[in-house]
Amino acid sequence: MNKKLIILFFFTPLIAKDIYYTRSGIVSFFSSTPIEDIKAINEQTTCVLDMDNGDVSFRIPILGFNFKNGLMQEHFNENYLESDIYPHAGFKGNIDNWEQINLSEQPQAVSLTGIMTIHGVSKEIVETGKISIKDGKVNGIATFKIVVADYNIKIPKIVRQNIAEIVEVTVKLDLKKK
Amino acid sequence: MTRSIILFISISVSLHSQEDLLGLIDDNPKTIPVMATFKATRIVNAQSIEMPKPRILEFVILHRFGSMANGAYDLFGMDEAVIRFDLEYGFSDRLSIGIGRSSLNKTYDIFSKLKIVDQRTGHRSFPISLVLFTKMEIETIMKDMDMQDRYTYDVQFLLAKKLNRSLSLQLMPTFIHRNLVETHNDHHDLISLGIGGRIKMTRRTSINFDTFFPIGKRGETYKQGWGIGYDIETGGHVFQLMVTNARGSFESEYIENASGAFEDLNLYLGFNISRAFYL
Repeated sequence: MNKKLIILFFFTPLIAKDIYYTRSGIVSFFSSTPIEDIKAINEQTTCVLDMDNGDVSFRIPILGFNFKNGLMQEHFNENYLESDIYPHAGFKGNIDNWEQINLSEQPQAVSLTGIMTIHGVSKEIVETGKISIKDGKVNGIATFKIVVADYNIKIPKIVRQNIAEIVEVTVKLDLKKK
Repeated sequence: MTRSIILFISISVSLHSQEDLLGLIDDNPKTIPVMATFKATRIVNAQSIEMPKPRILEFVILHRFGSMANGAYDLFGMDEAVIRFDLEYGFSDRLSIGIGRSSLNKTYDIFSKLKIVDQRTGHRSFPISLVLFTKMEIETIMKDMDMQDRYTYDVQFLLAKKLNRSLSLQLMPTFIHRNLVETHNDHHDLISLGIGGRIKMTRRTSINFDTFFPIGKRGETYKQGWGIGYDIETGGHVFQLMVTNARGSFESEYIENASGAFEDLNLYLGFNISRAFYL
């Protein structure tokens, strides 16, 4: 009896997990200076949402960012994000006040708290986004700003006029039930 | 006792639950191309496996000063110069075509790089990159010679491996055909094996070298060509400083016609500057 109970307890959190996920979430960023606008889009973001407690995890492969200019893409990976050492960026956190949120077709504002990791540097962040549910899919969108220097990404003087110190990041997700 | 075990297990499970969240989803198998084996399309003198990215036009100025042998008198050769311009365009990830003009013998040339295979890691990995380099040179210096004697052809296989973040090596089996040779003892067809490499010093700088070992006989005046350089990369520019024993920065010159030697410091300082234009 006791043994069964232990086994039951051990598996309960796994069985009960109501998971929504995607492997093709879209993360894009935009750097704008008077001289040059730089844009890159990544459609290989993995995101998992735990519907029981509002936990969210992201994994963003750095090599998945596509630039129009291939040379920029190479420099992004080689000189700035160093994707050979830090292949992924990520976020691990929680949607605040999850219990009080009733998902509907109407997008509603939520705030997320958690740890963002880019270029091997982790930083606690609080950002806002919108979340809704439609046809059994959870949709999430968010736009926020990242200070490049916060993540130990160095921009040399000579290209400082071309690369913004603060870049705008946009996240678009379509999560389906696992 | 049992209760505490259950409590312990359920706590530890819930503590780990978020760690496991991504683990619940299998990651797609990915193939990752190895990028930036070298910073520039040249190692020092030698062609590297790097080629302009699609839709990028690369303009390269290759500048070699005179011999350093005269020392301070002509500022280590800086009073003289042999200069070359390259314009190279990336048609796709696999093909680039370029034209060049060197002041030495007023040589024009047209060349191409064809990427046969890419070094990759991950799901479908491959250990090396292989590029076919082909080229035709034509001397246009005013001289009493037949038109067909002015041509030289060059075919190279460039095999490169980025061993790690800082170390890349390249092997270059090379075939050069000269329509005109100076004496009967000189061969029209020359085979050599080039070796080049780079060691990255910082994210933006590296030390590079290349040399070509002759295979088969060469004339008495032949000297093995080599170069040692230092790359500095910033944005769309690559700046390469070097010391070499070859005056000309095109294949038939730096592979088969190097003239300098360490004796009397009969070597050449030089630099390459490349600028990428996105079209």
